[in-house]
Amino acid sequence: MFYTLLQASSWAIFIGRFHPALVHFPIGFLLIGALLEIGRRTGKINVSESSIRFILLISAIGATVACICGYLLSLGGGYDAKLLDNHMWQGIGVAVFAWIAWLIKSDGFGGRIPFASVIYLPAFLLATILTLTAGHDGGSLTHGQGYLTQYTPEPFRGMAGMPPLEEKAEEIKPIADVQNAVVYNDIVQPILQARCAQCHNQSKQKGDLRVDQLAFLLKGGEGGPALIPGKGAESDMIKRCLLDESDDDHMPPKGKPQLTTDQITLISWWIDQGAPADKKVADLKANEAVTPALASLGEGAAPGLKKGAVKQESAIAGMKVKPASDQAIAALKKAGLIVNTLSQDQNLLEVSAVNAPNFDDKQMDLLKSVSQQIAWLKLGDTKITDAALEQIGTFPNLNKLHLEHTVVTDKGVAALKGLKFLEYINVVDTKVGDAGLKDLATMKGLRSVYVWRSAVTDSAVAQVGRQNPALQIVSGFNEAAVAEFLKAGDTTATKGVTKKL
Amino acid sequence: MEKLLKELQHADLQRQTRRHFLQTTGFGLGALGLGSLLGSCSTSSAETVGAPDVANARIPQFLPKAKRVIYIHMAGAPSQLELFDYKPELVKYHGKDCPAEFLEGKKFAFIQGVPKMLGPQGKFAQYGQSGAWMSDYVPYLQTVADEITFLKAMHTDQFNHAPAQLLMHTGSARLGRPSLGAWSVYGLGSENQNLPGFIVLASGGQQPDAGKSVYGSGFLPSVYQGVQCRTGGDPVLYVSDPSGMNRDMRKQTIEAINEINRQTYEEVQDPEILTRISQYEMAFRMQMSVPEVMDVSKEPQFILDMYGVEPGEGTFAMNCLLARKLVENDVRFVQLFDWGWDGHGTSKDHNVEGGLRQKCRESDQPIAALIKDLKMRGLLEETLIIWGAEFGRTPMQENRNGLVMPFMGRDHHLDAFTMWMAGGGVKQGFSHGETDELGYYGTKNRVHVHDLQATILHLMGFNHEKFTYPFQGRNFRLTDTEGKVVKEIVA
Repeated sequence: MFYTLLQASSWAIFIGRFHPALVHFPIGFLLIGALLEIGRRTGKINVSESSIRFILLISAIGATVACICGYLLSLGGGYDAKLLDNHMWQGIGVAVFAWIAWLIKSDGFGGRIPFASVIYLPAFLLATILTLTAGHDGGSLTHGQGYLTQYTPEPFRGMAGMPPLEEKAEEIKPIADVQNAVVYNDIVQPILQARCAQCHNQSKQKGDLRVDQLAFLLKGGEGGPALIPGKGAESDMIKRCLLDESDDDHMPPKGKPQLTTDQITLISWWIDQGAPADKKVADLKANEAVTPALASLGEGAAPGLKKGAVKQESAIAGMKVKPASDQAIAALKKAGLIVNTLSQDQNLLEVSAVNAPNFDDKQMDLLKSVSQQIAWLKLGDTKITDAALEQIGTFPNLNKLHLEHTVVTDKGVAALKGLKFLEYINVVDTKVGDAGLKDLATMKGLRSVYVWRSAVTDSAVAQVGRQNPALQIVSGFNEAAVAEFLKAGDTTATKGVTKKL
Repeated sequence: MEKLLKELQHADLQRQTRRHFLQTTGFGLGALGLGSLLGSCSTSSAETVGAPDVANARIPQFLPKAKRVIYIHMAGAPSQLELFDYKPELVKYHGKDCPAEFLEGKKFAFIQGVPKMLGPQGKFAQYGQSGAWMSDYVPYLQTVADEITFLKAMHTDQFNHAPAQLLMHTGSARLGRPSLGAWSVYGLGSENQNLPGFIVLASGGQQPDAGKSVYGSGFLPSVYQGVQCRTGGDPVLYVSDPSGMNRDMRKQTIEAINEINRQTYEEVQDPEILTRISQYEMAFRMQMSVPEVMDVSKEPQFILDMYGVEPGEGTFAMNCLLARKLVENDVRFVQLFDWGWDGHGTSKDHNVEGGLRQKCRESDQPIAALIKDLKMRGLLEETLIIWGAEFGRTPMQENRNGLVMPFMGRDHHLDAFTMWMAGGGVKQGFSHGETDELGYYGTKNRVHVHDLQATILHLMGFNHEKFTYPFQGRNFRLTDTEGKVVKEIVA
């Protein structure tokens, strides 16, 4: 009766969720107690028995409370039963042995327990050891088994007899021959592993769902089957991915890495074709929507294509800052700068010096007052130098930067490295060289660099491009490239070359 | 405070329509006199008078993806069946009678009775990583296939050039609405103070059929209308000083004219006078800036070669190069019109074989060059290029007056045609929409003209349902009461 009541009530889950937070207290207290006990017995430190007794008491209370919360959390279900069982009994063990150790030392009971002095140390030791093992199992329940040692480096890996480190799970490897790839094994399962399996695996089955095998997808979870073969659009997993991210039923949950439009298209397409386990891409009927998505899987897909076909929001899309003061904006306008608000509610600004060709380093101070708000800054064709870039490097939310046709150099560009929202930089016709490009390539968020007519060499563009496939480096072209381009028209009437996908 | 009063007064004056006039006169002449007295008493100094500020932008609802637009309109409407919409089935039907179901209840501009089907004239293949279908009519565009998003199932409501062009550019087939370019500048403001925010360049020997209204400002203040520049000779007629007149003298003249205009404005309070004042000032600045930006003689030879232009030409290719220069100088909206795509089959120039090939030869290379040129300057991802026409062409061969035409031609078709976009926030290497096996109807992901307009505004950051202008008692929008953003093509 009480059990069913608890299961139905949101109180149970509310209290239960405190388990992962509370559980760290008894762990810490017990370890401190054990260390003090060792210190005391070896005579290294001077600490009274009453201090250790007090620590034991709060450890025992803490462990008990953690046990209760943990039990309530487990009612929610979705965990590997065996692992959960182990974890529970070890946790209860911690509490029991902590209480025993405290009882032996307590004034009231200590004298009445036979062999008290003999039991004390083993009890304390057991409580401490069980803390560690229970903690480890708890970690496995939350993060999945093997989480702790997944990235063990060599040579320890070999010594421990672990298989060599696999590619990072979140990265989906390009497929060498897309047409001959098995849709389920080579395309669908890697996406599920990267985006869904963290919570839906053998040891953690949120909503009673596992995604690691096709049979489990068909069986589904609490809400019924995850997919209906032949009906992609009606399948629960597709519907959930397409819900608004703020919706409670949306998957993956808000804040976790999301599936791209292409990935959803691919999975939906596979379900539409009956969700076969062993069919290859070539065996299935490709349609217009899935063709570019398939193309984006291949090795050496054009970088532009990868970026374009995959929906990619700007890093500043959801950013909100305090509005700039009216005086600051008026001062910028007075200096001939264009100041536009980028979008409603965000208060981010676009500042352009297109009407102020004489804008120089001295006027940079004007921008200080809106340093938080500037997202797009256009200082192309102005008189700024590297000194201005020192200041620009302190504009935390800068997203696009135009420096074309200025005298900036590598030294100035180096000052921009800390701009974590910068996605676009234009150094066309500047003195920026290879060192500057390499500095820019270290910026994780950067998507495109334009280096035509700068001092950047072609070999550096090729090298940096190879090392940073996600970065689009556009170097433009010269007379030879134009001559090559003009050949396209030579064969107007006879050309019939079909380039394969 | 003064600004606030001015605003109030401005708003008040905007409401002075005929209805108000009649209402006011109902109170008699005395009230009328009082009204005009009140109307003019608050503006005391000439300094507070200003035109509707073209540089002043409204705040977009979303973060814009496209800052500028180059809209390439092929007036007359090229055949999608020869260029992009590959229909192998149509080959089999070539020369056969059109199925009756295509003709029932349909009206065409010229087709009468039962026409014959006409197979595709181009050789098609897939290009780029994206596998975009293109024909040998556009060999240069093939090289930039992976920059482009195709809309294969466009449809419109109008089958005659002028109304269809008006619908495409103003959202209504009737006159009087602002054009897409005017809305854009009204929304995002004009950046370069020495150049108009909306510039129009036309080629092909004729203006678009719908005339200046396709780039007009409609009920928006006239500062937002497109300014047409000539490609050869003086870019803007009469903008350069006559001999014997120097720049100082011109300046004094304009200052004097503007002073008189200001006084008139104070008297009659017509906001169009302010527009006139600002246009005089703009014209004065354009005397310097326009010849400079329109001068291609300083371009390196290989750039000229890439576009295939010689300095001094007034061709479509030159307009593409100028469009790049204008966009580089932060002109918000550049509209290109090229006339001569109406391939009915009536003459050597107007058909879907040699005539269309010739038009493609003139335009294919510079369009591909424009995409490449913008890309290497870092402008493509901020600039939206739109290519299209007012409608498409039929899968049937035209049989004007029931006769066999001298050349292969197709009639106007509103149920299915292709447009494409590149740059500014659209997917790279993507195709949206499908037509049936003969290319007659869109069968999947159809996009109406209003949907396209909603999408373009969306890319510029505006919610087309909220981006409005009050006129004659209600809020107007470009898409009127329709339009749905095509989210699938947004990158």
